[in-house]
Order: sequence, then C-alpha cells, then structure tokens
Amino acid sequence: MAQSRVGPRTIAPPIEPGAPSDFELMKGIQAGDADALSQLYDRYNGILKALILRVIHNEAEADDLLQEIFMEIWNQAKNFSEEKGKPLGWMVTLARRRAIDGLRKKQAYARAEERLQNETEQQPDAWVHNATEEEIVLSDTRVLIRKVISSLPLAQQQAIDLAFFRGMSQREIAAKTNTPLGTVKTRLELGLKKIYDGLKDLKDEL
Amino acid sequence: MNFEQFQNQSRLYVIGALEPEELDEFEEARKKFGKKADDFISKCYALHEAFALSLRPAKSSDAIKERLMAMVKAKKQS
Repeated sequence: MAQSRVGPRTIAPPIEPGAPSDFELMKGIQAGDADALSQLYDRYNGILKALILRVIHNEAEADDLLQEIFMEIWNQAKNFSEEKGKPLGWMVTLARRRAIDGLRKKQAYARAEERLQNETEQQPDAWVHNATEEEIVLSDTRVLIRKVISSLPLAQQQAIDLAFFRGMSQREIAAKTNTPLGTVKTRLELGLKKIYDGLKDLKDEL
Repeated sequence: MNFEQFQNQSRLYVIGALEPEELDEFEEARKKFGKKADDFISKCYALHEAFALSLRPAKSSDAIKERLMAMVKAKKQS
C-alpha cells in the first residue's frame, strides 16, 4: 500500500511487547469492543488530558472534556482510516479541536487569557521550562521532543504555543504580542520547520 | 509558490495558522503539486503528536473512566 511507504511519521511512545497496537485497538473500537476503548483510554488519557489542560487551564472542565472526547472517539471511530494517519495523531487532532471549541463556546476565553497572560509574564517559556526536574521521570520520547522545542528561540516557542494550544491566528498572535504580522509568520515558519526537522532525527534515535 | 514555500505553508496549515487569504493560494498549490503535496501534509500531522507528547501527562479522575465506560455500555444497549 502506497500509504505505508509515505505515511505520516509517528513519534508515539513505544508499546509494551504483546500489547495490541493502536491500530488494533481502533479496529476493536470500530467493531464495538468496549474493552478496546478502555485500553486506548488507559494508554492515552494522560497525554490527551495534558493537551486539553494546556488549552483550557481548568481541571474540572478538562476532565469533562476528556470524557466527551473519548466518547467522540467511540462514536466517530468509523471515520478513522489507517490511510489518513496514526490513531494518536487522529485523537490529538480531535482533542485539540474540541478543546479550542470548548474554550470559545464556554466563553472562558477571557478568563483563560488572563491566566495565560499571567503565566506568560511569570514564565514566558513555560511550555518546556520546567523540564529539568522532571526529565529523570519522563519518557525518552518526551525528553527528546522537549529538547527539540527548547532549542528554539523563546519568541518562536511562544508563537507556536499560541497558535497550537490557543488556536490563535497569525493576526491574533501579532496583536497579542505586539509584533508585526510578517514577523509572526516568520517565527511560526522557522520554528515549525526546526521542530519538523528535529522529529526526523528523533525518529532515528527511537 | 515553489515546493519549499508550500512545505512552510503546510506546517502552518496543519496547526490551523494559515490566514484566510492564504488558504486559496495554498489550495491552488496543493492541486498543482498533487500527491506529493498530500503526502507532505500527512507527514506534517506528526507535529500534532509531538506537541501533545511534549507535555507532561496529566492525571485524570478515576470517575471519568467509570462514567465513560458506563456511557458506552448504555449506548451499546440502546
């Protein structure tokens, strides 16, 4: 199959020997196997919850949204296709969209903005800044990804953080950071290219 | 737009950061480059995984999974 030759890279963490693959679990969910969903939940709820929390900054809302997202995974599993990508990528894309939608729908944007503003002022590189203490307990995958991200200039990290985790447009980022639009675009392009290229090396190391 | 420029735009596209006025030109280039373009866009979605995996996993309440599985069970029975 052509897709297997050119398919998306994955940098997902390794799975224990003998455990079903993500693709096998997705096939189980498509067939209505609730145990497959349970296993997928156990495998990825922490990652998806972290992503949601990064967007909405509210523990209780993040838990509710996590439940809704896994329910959507159950309901929408028929729309997942191996040819379109990996299960984790599909779930992350779905979770990010729902989190950003949820943020806006619940009109928590202003409150979260304020919290983000405070965070940004206090620790502008919070995305990866606290890695040092945690690195000994983090997976190799996470350490390596964070290493790639933390190698970027802070301005590039911030632009990507606002675009990906806040769903901001280039214009919104420009307004928020009081930066010319062209500069924001350049920061995003350069930062994303460095991360993308860094993932190639990461894949070789894993 | 050459392919290198298309690659830069693709990385913005997958994180939803292309401005509306850039989308038309991007879609034109996507058609022009055909399968090569679609293959590259697919690869760019690895950025989503990377950003999610860059975060420290967060613990969720045990009750969430219980509620989820109860909802799934109810849905299967309905």
